[in-house]
Amino acid sequence: MRINYFVAGGFVVLIFLVIIFVTTVLPASTFRPVPTPAAHQYTPKELAGRNIYRREGCFYCHTQFVRYQDRGGGEMVLAGDYMFETPHLLGTERTGPDLSNIGGKYADEWHKAHHRNPRKMKPGSIMPSFSYLSDKEMDELVAYLQTLGAGRKLPGWVAPPQEMRDEYDAIKSHVNVNSSAAANAGRGIFMQNCAACHGIRGLGNGPISLTMEKKPANFTRPFYKNYSDAMWYWRVKEGVPGTRMPRWGQSLGKEQMLYLVAFLKTLPQDSQPAGAEIHSIEQVDDPFALDTNFKTIDNMMKTSGNPYGTSRNLGESR
Amino acid sequence: MERILSAIFSREPYSASRNFLITAIFWLVLGTSVGLLASMQFDTPDALSGIAQLSFGRLRPVHINGVLIGWLSMGYAACMFYIIPVLAGRKGLWSELLGNWTMVLWNLAMVAGVLTLLNGDTEAREYAELAGTIHIGGASIQILDWAVLVVLLLLGVNAWMTVMTGTEKKWYVSIWYFLGALFWFPIVYIIGNRAFVHLDGLNDAITGWFYGHNILGMWFTVGGIGIMYYLIPKFTGNPLYSHTLSMIGFWTIGMFYAPTGTHHILQSPVPEWLKSVAVISSIFLLVPVLTVLTNFFMTLKGKWSTAADHVPLRFAISGGIAYLLTCIQGPFQATRSVNWYIHFTNWVVGHAHLALLATFSFFVFAASYYIIPRVTGRKMYSKRLAVWHFWLTLYGWIIMVVDLVIAGLVQSAGWHHGIPVDQWVIELVPYWWIRSFSGVLIVLGQILYMFNVYKTVFSPRQCEELPHSPTGIIYV
Ligand code: HEC
Ligand code: HEC
Ligand code: HEM
Repeated sequence: MRINYFVAGGFVVLIFLVIIFVTTVLPASTFRPVPTPAAHQYTPKELAGRNIYRREGCFYCHTQFVRYQDRGGGEMVLAGDYMFETPHLLGTERTGPDLSNIGGKYADEWHKAHHRNPRKMKPGSIMPSFSYLSDKEMDELVAYLQTLGAGRKLPGWVAPPQEMRDEYDAIKSHVNVNSSAAANAGRGIFMQNCAACHGIRGLGNGPISLTMEKKPANFTRPFYKNYSDAMWYWRVKEGVPGTRMPRWGQSLGKEQMLYLVAFLKTLPQDSQPAGAEIHSIEQVDDPFALDTNFKTIDNMMKTSGNPYGTSRNLGESR
Repeated sequence: MERILSAIFSREPYSASRNFLITAIFWLVLGTSVGLLASMQFDTPDALSGIAQLSFGRLRPVHINGVLIGWLSMGYAACMFYIIPVLAGRKGLWSELLGNWTMVLWNLAMVAGVLTLLNGDTEAREYAELAGTIHIGGASIQILDWAVLVVLLLLGVNAWMTVMTGTEKKWYVSIWYFLGALFWFPIVYIIGNRAFVHLDGLNDAITGWFYGHNILGMWFTVGGIGIMYYLIPKFTGNPLYSHTLSMIGFWTIGMFYAPTGTHHILQSPVPEWLKSVAVISSIFLLVPVLTVLTNFFMTLKGKWSTAADHVPLRFAISGGIAYLLTCIQGPFQATRSVNWYIHFTNWVVGHAHLALLATFSFFVFAASYYIIPRVTGRKMYSKRLAVWHFWLTLYGWIIMVVDLVIAGLVQSAGWHHGIPVDQWVIELVPYWWIRSFSGVLIVLGQILYMFNVYKTVFSPRQCEELPHSPTGIIYV
C-alpha cells in the first residue's frame, strides 16, 4: 500500500519539476530580447530614485507598460525596453496613469510640486502626498521619472491609421478646408483652445509651455508642409501620446476640428523662422515681441530628424 | 505569565493548533484593519498625509502580508495541525513542541515583517514583499524570506512525520492535499523570493508571477480544499460522495494550476507561447474546480437545511459558493479577449477578495468553529456573536466584490472611450467610499470573531468532557 503512495508522490514531484522548467527556466534561457534605446542603464542617482519608487509603493497604483489598446499612453513598449528593469515594476493596478512615457512630459518642478501635494496640481486627485520625502530623495525620484520612456521612439514617419483616414474621408465634405473662411473660423477656435500652449502664432511657445519638458509643436516649421489633411485631423483628434497635447476629439466637435485643420494648414512656412528665443516663453501682455527676433536657420530642419514631432528631439537634447 | 508560557511551549496534544489559531485571528484583525485604513486613503487622501508609515504604498503590503501570511497561512497551519493527526490516527502531532516553536517563530517573523514593511523595507514584488534586509559585509540578506521558508519547512516536517508515525495506513484525500501543499509551497516560495538569481526585466516578471499565482494555486487553494474535504463529511455526517472525483481534482490541480502565472501579464511583451500556456491551463482549471465542487455539493445532499442551525456549515457552504464564483470568474478573465478589457482595473482587486476573503477565509472560519471547541474542550462562548460574524462578513464581501466589479467595468469603459486615466479616476471615488463601508462591516465582524474566540479560550472550562456531537452542531 505505502509503495503506491511513493510512486504517486514521485509523479507529483516530477510533474511539478516539469512545470517549473517550462514556465520559468525555459523562458529565462530562451527569451533574450535585445536592449532597445528605451532600455536605460541607470546612474546611481536614478537608481536611488528607482528604489524610492519601489519603497513608496508607487507601482501599486502606476503601471509601466503601454498596451495596444492604451491609445493615450504613448508609444508601445517592446520586450527589449526592460533589460535593466530588475526587479520589474510592471504593476497590476492602474489607479493612476501609466508612467512608461512620463519622462519629459512635465518639468522637474512640476513633479516635485505634484508629489508634495497632488491635489494642488490636479484637483480631485487621490494620489497620496509624498511631502515626507527629503529634498534629496525628491531629486532622485524625479531624476528616475524623467528617464522613463525618454529613449522610446517611433521608427519613422507615421501616417494616420486607416480607420482615421476613412473617418476623415467620410466627413471632409462638411467643411472646405482650403477656404480662407474655414481657416478664419479655425483661428478663433485655435486662439481659445490652443494658443495657451502653442502660442498665438503657432510657434509652440505659449505661456503654458513653460511648464513642459516636451514642448508644444511649432507649426511654422516647413516640415509640417508634409502633413496631409487627414494627418492634421488625426493629430488634433487623438492628441500626441506621452505629451500633454490633449485629445481634442473628446471635447471638440468634428466640424470644429475640420476648421482647425484648415487653420493649421496655413501655418507652416517655406523656411524656418527661428532663433535662440524660439522656445523663450511668450509674454502674455506683449505677444508680438518675438517677431523682431526671428531669424532663418536652415539646419534646424536637419536636426529634427524625427518627423513624428518635436518632443523626442527635445528629449534627446536634454 | 508562567501559565501563558507553559501554554505556548506546551507538549499537550493539539496545543499547537490552538495557539496557531489564536495568533492567526490577531493577524486577521490587524490585516483587515490595515486594509480598511488603506481603503480610506482613497476617500480622504490628505487625512494622514505626511506620515511616511501610513502612506498607501506602505500600508498595502502590510495588509496583504498580514492577511495572507499572517492570517490565512497560519489559519491553515492550525487546521492542518488538527486534521492531520486525527486522520493519521494519532493523538496530537509528531511533536507538539516543535509545532509551538514554529508558531512562535512565525509570529516573530510577522511582527518583524509588519515593522519593516511600514518602514519601507520591501522587496517590491507583489505578495513577496516581506524582506527584512540586513547587510553583512557587502551582501544584503533578506532574513524574513528565510524565516518564512524555515517555518514552512518545519510545518512540512511535522506534518510528514505525523502521517508517517500514525496508525492509519490509508490516506484520506485531505492528507494528499495537505502534503501536496506543504511540498509545493516552499518551492514556490523560494522561486518567488529568489534573491540569489538575477533575471533581466521581463524574465523577472515571469518568475515573479509564477510565484504570485502559485501562492494562491498551490497553497491557498490546495490547503483550503483539503480542509473542506475533511469538514464537509463531518458537518453533514454523510460519507464523501466520490473518492475518484477527489483524486481527479488533486491531479488536475497539480497539472494545471502551476503554469498559469503569466496570465497576470497577458498584454506585456513576454513570449506568446508562454501566454498561451497560461491561458489554456487557466481554462483547464475548470476541471478541478468542478470536480471539487460537485463532490462538496453532492456530499451535502439532503443536509442543506441543517445549515439553518449549524453555523460552521453556513460558513462552509457560502465559502463553497464563493469558490464557484471565483473559479468561474478566473478562467473567464484569463482569456485574452476578456483580460484585454478588465486588466489593470478594480475588477481584479474584487476577484482577489472573492478568492481570499469570501472563499478561503470562510473555509478557515468554518474550520475554526469546529476545531476550537475540540482543542480547548469548551463550547464557543456565544452563538449569537458567531452568527453576527457570519452576516457581517458575508454582506461585507458581497458589497465589496460587487462594488469593485462595477468599479472595474466603469474604469475600463472610461479608458476605452479615450478618457485619460488621471481624469477618469474621479469617477471611481463613490465606489471607493462603498468599499470602505463594506470594509467597516468586515472589520467589525472580525472583531466580534476575535472577541468570541478569545472569550472561549480564556474562560474557565464549563465541564470536564464536552458532550458528544460528531457534527459539532451543539458546540456553536
Ligand atoms: C493611491 C495610488 C497612487 C500612488 C501610491 C501613487 N500615485 Fe501617482 N497618481 C495617482 C493618481 C490617481 C494619479 C492621477 C491624478 C494626478 O495626476 O494626481 C497619479 C498621477 C501621477 C503622475 C502624473 C501622471 C500624468 O501623466 O499626469 C505622476 C508622475 C505620478 N503619479 C507619480 C507617482 C510616484 C512617483 C509615486 C510614488 C512616490 C506615485 N505616483 C504613487 C495615484 C497614485
Ligand atoms: C496643454 C498644452 C496644449 C494645448 C492646449 C494644445 N496642444 Fe497641441 N501639442 C501640445 C504638445 C506638448 C504637443 C507635442 C509636440 C510634440 O510632438 O512634441 C502638441 C502637438 C500638437 C500637434 C501635433 C504636431 C505633430 O508634430 O504632429 C498638433 C496638430 C496640435 N498639437 C494641435 C493642437 C490644436 C489644434 C490645439 C487646440 C485645439 C492644441 N494642439 C492644443 C500641447 C498642447
Ligand atoms: C481576510 C480578508 C482579506 C483578504 C484575504 C484580502 C486580500 C487582499 C489581496 C490579495 C489584495 C491584493 C489585490 C491585488 O493584488 O489585486 C488586497 C488588496 C486590497 N485590500 Fe484586501 N483583503 C481582505 C480584507 C480587506 C478589507 C476588510 C479591506 C477594507 C476595505 C481591504 C482593502 C483592500 C485594499 C484597499 C486593497 C488594495 C487595492 C488596490 O491596490 O487598489 N481588504 N486584499
